[in-house]
Amino acid sequence: MIEEQRVIDFHGHTGRLDLYNGVDDPALILRAMDRVGIDVSCVFNIFHPDGTTGNDITARFVKDHPDRFVGFAYVSPMMAKGMVAELTRAVDELGLVAIKLYPPYTQWDLNEPIWHPIYEFADDRGLAIIFHTGTDAHSHPGLLADCAAKFPNANFVSGHAGNVAEPRAAAIRAAQDYPNIYLETCSTFRTPGVIEQLVNEAGADRVLFGSDIALMDSRPQLGKIITADISDEAKRLVCGGNAARLLGI
Amino acid sequence: MSIQFTFRPRVPVFDANVRVGDLHYQPSPCRNREQLLAEMDRHGVEKALIYHAQTEEVSPIDGNGFLEEWLDDGRLFPQWSVTPTPDSMVQIEALHEQGRVHNVRLHNARAVGLPFRPWACGPMLSWLSENRIPLWIPLPDADADELATTLSAFPDLVTVLVGAHYTHALWVRPLMTTLPNAYLELSRIEPLGEVEALCAEYGAERFVYGSWYDRLAMGTMLFYLHHTDLSEAELELICAGNLLRILQGEGRHD
Repeated sequence: MIEEQRVIDFHGHTGRLDLYNGVDDPALILRAMDRVGIDVSCVFNIFHPDGTTGNDITARFVKDHPDRFVGFAYVSPMMAKGMVAELTRAVDELGLVAIKLYPPYTQWDLNEPIWHPIYEFADDRGLAIIFHTGTDAHSHPGLLADCAAKFPNANFVSGHAGNVAEPRAAAIRAAQDYPNIYLETCSTFRTPGVIEQLVNEAGADRVLFGSDIALMDSRPQLGKIITADISDEAKRLVCGGNAARLLGI
Repeated sequence: MSIQFTFRPRVPVFDANVRVGDLHYQPSPCRNREQLLAEMDRHGVEKALIYHAQTEEVSPIDGNGFLEEWLDDGRLFPQWSVTPTPDSMVQIEALHEQGRVHNVRLHNARAVGLPFRPWACGPMLSWLSENRIPLWIPLPDADADELATTLSAFPDLVTVLVGAHYTHALWVRPLMTTLPNAYLELSRIEPLGEVEALCAEYGAERFVYGSWYDRLAMGTMLFYLHHTDLSEAELELICAGNLLRILQGEGRHD
């Protein structure tokens, strides 16, 4: 909690990625969260191609600390046959509340039809979907506009807000054009002025704080919001107000 | 500790890594010294070690010249860039004769295939070591094996390893263990819990705060460092004390 504002981190990982010393140690994660007033972290597991294994890991992780974490489901069109069935299981049985997608692990741009069953599922249930977005062709955030237009009841979140200048500009344009597109802030690029740009150009009500925990520490990523030259009211929305509204928590 | 939407550092801050001037692909948000000082004031930063963008992208010799107009006796201190060529060494040695060289930054000659090996960099490293001048080395331009083997041959040379990113996560501990006179600059240390873990393993006296502004936003890592399990004494060392000791030629640990 920061000045009575509940803080929600919209971008977190369960599992481990040893190349980067990334391990989902709950004690380390909670210490980082507690040190800077983060109340809830949203977590998902993208490290298992089948989806099912990672979603089970996420569900167990959340179950151990249900007041501090919410889980998102991960699926991939590389496993297209069982995609919707796994989403149904993850949401209805495991209690995961939104969806994470990672186009770089696939061979399709994020607006191609093979992804559409996921978007239909989210559209039917009014769920949020957070994508990795960046410079690679499959993940370009400009493509979100196409999805947002076709599935207006789903909310599309540009993870990393495109990461660097050109895709970030495309993400902002997409958010300006569609009310169901949001921009999430985690990025180790941390270019000066980016948080200000997102808030000023897309609107404070469309920006979500995220950190990439446990691959990254959530503290510097929150620090870039706190030290940005934006109003306290904007910081409240970015740090938690928007996420609470989007997730209904 | 109460967290707020505004942040000011609790301890004096001397930033060990600030870039000034324009890159071709990224004009600097600060157009002059006054704007840089204003940005430092906004984040509660007292002093900074600065180098010029021209030294990074094109010419350490020209860039060192351009740095002069940014210097400020009280708050902005020079970090001259150096590369193992005769022209560069002539410039640095001349500055040194004027008593103006207290640290240098390695220009990326590896970009054109010159490795960081004794046969290529030895005379430069010997001169720096003999004159007790610490060397800043940007890790994004470096090779881990070259660093470990070459710097081991210059054990008296104090180095500051700059900009370890999460993609360098597997490098950091072996380098810190192999090179007892190396410091780690913290501008990009983001793996979970690494600041506390590294300080516990190597001691806070092996780390310096740098923002790497304007490549990165200025206040982010300061906020992080002020919200760790470090003691106030450790925080003071990292935010200014260690850098002051290094610049005074007292950086050796062994």
